[in-house]
Amino acid sequence: MNGQKKRGPRIEPFRHRVETDPKFFDKSWKKLHDAIREIYNHNASGLSFEELYRTAYNMVLHKFGPKLYEKLTENMKEHLEEMRTCVEAAQGGLFLEELERKWNDHNKALTMIRDILMYMDRTYIPTNKKTPVFDLGLELWRDTIVRSPMIHGRLLDTLLELIHRERTGEVINRCLMRTTTKMLMTLGSSVYQDDFERPFLEVSASFYSGESQQFIDCYSCGDYLKLAERRLSEESERVSQYMDVKTNEKITAVVVKEMLSNHMQRLILMENSGLVNMLVEDRYEDLTRMYTLFNYVPDGLTTIRSVMMSHIKDTGKSLVTDPERLKDPVDFVQRLLNEKDKFDNIINVSFNSDKSFLNALNSSFEHFINLNNRSPEFISLFVDDKLRKGVKEANEDVLETVLDKVMMLFRYLQEKDLFEKYYKQHLAKRLISGKAASDDSERSMLVKLKTECGYQFTSKLEGMFNDLKTSQDTTQGFYASASDLADYPTISVQILTTGSWPTQPCNTCNLPPEILAVSERFRSYYLGTHNGRRLTWQTNMGNADIKTTFGNGSKHELNVSTYQMCILMLFNSSDVLTYREIEQATAIPAVDLKRCLQSLALMKGKQVLRKEPMSRDIADDDSFSVNDKFTSKLFKVKIGTVSAQKETDPEKLETRQRVEEDRKPQIEAAIVRIMKSRRVLDHNSIMTEVTKQLQPRFLPNPVVIKKRIESLIEREFLERDKTDRKMYRYLA
Amino acid sequence: MYTPTTTSTRGRVRLNVGGRVFETTSATLASAGRDTMLGAMVDASWNSGVHDDPAEYFIDRDPCCFAVLLDLLRTGDLHVPPGLPEATLYREALYYGLLGRVRSARLGDFDPDRLRLASSVHGRSPGDGVAIRAAPDGGCCVSHGGASGVVRVYNWMLQERRPVYHPAHAPVNDAAYLDASTLLLAARERPGRRDDDGGVSSFSALTGETRHRFRVAHDRQPRSFTATALAFDGGCDVFASCKGRINEYGVAVWDCNTGEQADFFYEPPGCALGEADRLQWLEETNTLMVATMFPRTDSSFVTLLDFREKSVVWSWSDVGTPASIEDKHAVDAVAMEDGRSLCVVNQYDDLGFLDLRKNASGVRWRSRSKLAMSDGKTKKAACGEEACYPKLAAHGGRLFASTGDAISVFSGADHVMTSTLRCSNGGAICDFSIGGDRLFALHGEENVFDVWETPPPPII
Repeated sequence: MNGQKKRGPRIEPFRHRVETDPKFFDKSWKKLHDAIREIYNHNASGLSFEELYRTAYNMVLHKFGPKLYEKLTENMKEHLEEMRTCVEAAQGGLFLEELERKWNDHNKALTMIRDILMYMDRTYIPTNKKTPVFDLGLELWRDTIVRSPMIHGRLLDTLLELIHRERTGEVINRCLMRTTTKMLMTLGSSVYQDDFERPFLEVSASFYSGESQQFIDCYSCGDYLKLAERRLSEESERVSQYMDVKTNEKITAVVVKEMLSNHMQRLILMENSGLVNMLVEDRYEDLTRMYTLFNYVPDGLTTIRSVMMSHIKDTGKSLVTDPERLKDPVDFVQRLLNEKDKFDNIINVSFNSDKSFLNALNSSFEHFINLNNRSPEFISLFVDDKLRKGVKEANEDVLETVLDKVMMLFRYLQEKDLFEKYYKQHLAKRLISGKAASDDSERSMLVKLKTECGYQFTSKLEGMFNDLKTSQDTTQGFYASASDLADYPTISVQILTTGSWPTQPCNTCNLPPEILAVSERFRSYYLGTHNGRRLTWQTNMGNADIKTTFGNGSKHELNVSTYQMCILMLFNSSDVLTYREIEQATAIPAVDLKRCLQSLALMKGKQVLRKEPMSRDIADDDSFSVNDKFTSKLFKVKIGTVSAQKETDPEKLETRQRVEEDRKPQIEAAIVRIMKSRRVLDHNSIMTEVTKQLQPRFLPNPVVIKKRIESLIEREFLERDKTDRKMYRYLA
Repeated sequence: MYTPTTTSTRGRVRLNVGGRVFETTSATLASAGRDTMLGAMVDASWNSGVHDDPAEYFIDRDPCCFAVLLDLLRTGDLHVPPGLPEATLYREALYYGLLGRVRSARLGDFDPDRLRLASSVHGRSPGDGVAIRAAPDGGCCVSHGGASGVVRVYNWMLQERRPVYHPAHAPVNDAAYLDASTLLLAARERPGRRDDDGGVSSFSALTGETRHRFRVAHDRQPRSFTATALAFDGGCDVFASCKGRINEYGVAVWDCNTGEQADFFYEPPGCALGEADRLQWLEETNTLMVATMFPRTDSSFVTLLDFREKSVVWSWSDVGTPASIEDKHAVDAVAMEDGRSLCVVNQYDDLGFLDLRKNASGVRWRSRSKLAMSDGKTKKAACGEEACYPKLAAHGGRLFASTGDAISVFSGADHVMTSTLRCSNGGAICDFSIGGDRLFALHGEENVFDVWETPPPPII
């Protein structure tokens, strides 16, 4: 104790005591507390923002941040409790309005409170990872009001009730709906989803499930789809009016599921009004609607497509296999074209030119056209009909589009080589008989075939055109070289290159001497100008115009075939001839001769010859004489030949055989090409490769391929592998 | 003073700030934004009952700073009169909610060729700094060596925040900013200690609090480890080069949102992944560069890892390269931002380049450094003082290399030197970092770092 006294004056370390007002916080908080109350009471005009801001600033500066935050939370909660009581007390329809009003009040107040506490928002809150003031206010609103037990369910029920009323046709206050859902969205997407969207979707699902049950039984498919379309657009409109944009997708999915997906099969296959009916009756509008709506449904379009496909296949099959239809090839193809047009239109108009639908259409056509193996012939006949002279379609553009359409059908053919055969025959007939309507159309058809199948396919056809052109020149040259031919009948020779033209059995008949003389002159002229060629007369293909004077004095020019000419010329020297005499004199093959005589003697109105007896069949001893009573209104009389345009059954068989025969070298060539590059290959691979290579022309039969392989092995182009019998080896 | 007498006074505002009267328009004040004090003050919600024109407000703050800030609002230009301490200005700006504006008016877009020394900051730590990292917002942190485990953190105003102490004061090897408020540290575990004190942790850069420890497990067994280098892919993955006690070398990956380990890339033979000097995420190629350099190891290794396929995409090492007379070693490596080439530097400041698009290529060394030639002083200084190995950085298409007490900037495809940054005090530069529109250079001595920034471009 004493020691202490002896010490000198004690020097206290200088301390700066910060004397804070112990009531600083309470005073400051009271200021803010009062201000907040005024703000909530819409009485903020007397408040000084600067002062309040500074007060809050000082509180944060003096480390009262946590306490301030805590007090603020409490205080706001109190105000919200008051609001809650008001909202709860609101009656019936006023409930939403009261909620909206309080929400606006709270929002306004919250903005101002945030303004006052801005400094805290910038400093204390981020450092301490607290919720910013504005978000805090929203959270408190959510927990105190929106999710309070008395309001939560009531709010949802009110909203759903209003939506239901609107669905049943009433007019509701959409504005109020919008502010309410907007409030939920402001509180966070999870609040909107949990407290409104999900229940809304559930209620909608049951509403539409009920409605669809009610209407599917009594509505036709078209009407039902109209309803669904209307409902969908209504829902979209509703969302755009007062819901979150993202709900659109979800509610659309609900409506689609309840109204369409769940009844898809039933709707599409509905009897008397389903898809098939719409297709048959060309109901474009309904089809468009169906396409658009089922586009939303998973597998919807696939189902529509497959139903459409089977419908096309069925109708197509009944069309191509109907024996009635086979009688008229032109009508047959025209029907196919009509069918194609019909579905092309449907797809373009109603199905949005959907690629997959077009593909389905193509594959269906491909399927049923090849069900009838006469399709290639018929299509060629159809083209023949169109390109023949005198066909009414004078307009080349129309013809061109028809040809384009035919090319579509041609594409579907598997046996394109068969078509080529027929086309060649028909073209030859057209060209030789001079019946080709227009060179341009013929050539344009050739170009189409060329672009479709390549140069090879049409090279011979082009050769035929060239032959005709050179023939003309040659004939002119012939007459220019010989001036002494005026007394002879005029001939026009068409020189056909062997190979380019469909092969015909060479049935040379005995030409009348007048013609024979000119022909021989021509032969020597031609062989004189061209070395190393051989001329064979194809008398079965020519025609002639003969001037005739009948016994009754009537004069006519008869247009007949070369054979018929030979027959008629015989009557220049004799009055009556028996069949046998005619046959001996002309050496025309019996079948053709009979046909010619039939057309000369038995065709009504064109009976140039008289037959004894007057029966249809021609026997060896039947006699013929010139019909002196022949009359005709026309000066020029065309005597047709009794010949079927369509092939007869034996002819058909023959053509088929020829085609099969032609295919053999093609298959062999393909095999050799493949083996040459691959050297060693197994059986299955050869099969697939050969099929792939030949597909553009025809679909080779596997049995035939196998036979060709065996033949190639025999001829030592290939050999079987010694160990693996399934492997083939190319022998160079 | 010119006062328009005829025009209406609509929108005019009279402010009395600490006794000085300012007149301006409410539009000028509102231009600060609704979320600032001035913007809120003139907002309609606070002026519902007031109709006098011009509106009058009293603000109980310092008028000198307000004058500067009002000028900023009017012109967008920050002019600080001499004698006005920056700290005061920042404080006032924070009061008005204008700090962000002040920052963007003060710091122009980073342009390496127009850099200006803004300040040199003297630290107070006992040990010299070993690493410096720029924060995305313009702040930085300095890691100090030795056993202190302290990382000093500065905000963009270069005011020091509460430092970050690694738990148990484990020595910090590398630091990285996950975002402006989150700092990652990689620390060495110290031998002999039982508790796992090393590894990777995240801290709040604002308060210094520990946020999360990133753990590594091998065969589902959590293991302690030393982390040497860090990288962040800018999305959600954090990478660290890790060395476990039982030779678990490799690169660990964590998801920075969950903090859980996502992957571990074990070191394959011929690569060095476990004690890398530098990790760099290459955005262009989605790969991670791992560089382990001399003198940490006897040879230098650079590896590119693809974590999607868990494969080594590219690697290079100078193992087996015949040592030249000078005994050159690559001491730092950085991948150029386009992901096509890699730049290395040796201890004699020579730059070398490697093609990242093809494997097994050699280094194309640049002829004996223009860096060194350009400055004889560096050599001398290096003789006298403690030398620092050169460091590299790539930013904005430029290449940066530290040499002695200077940093050189190389531009263009041919990497022509376009600028040199030098500030003499503090000796050689031991580390530097670029970010938040600033370049920070840490000196090897005197515990000082330089801050380089680009002034806003002149108006005309």
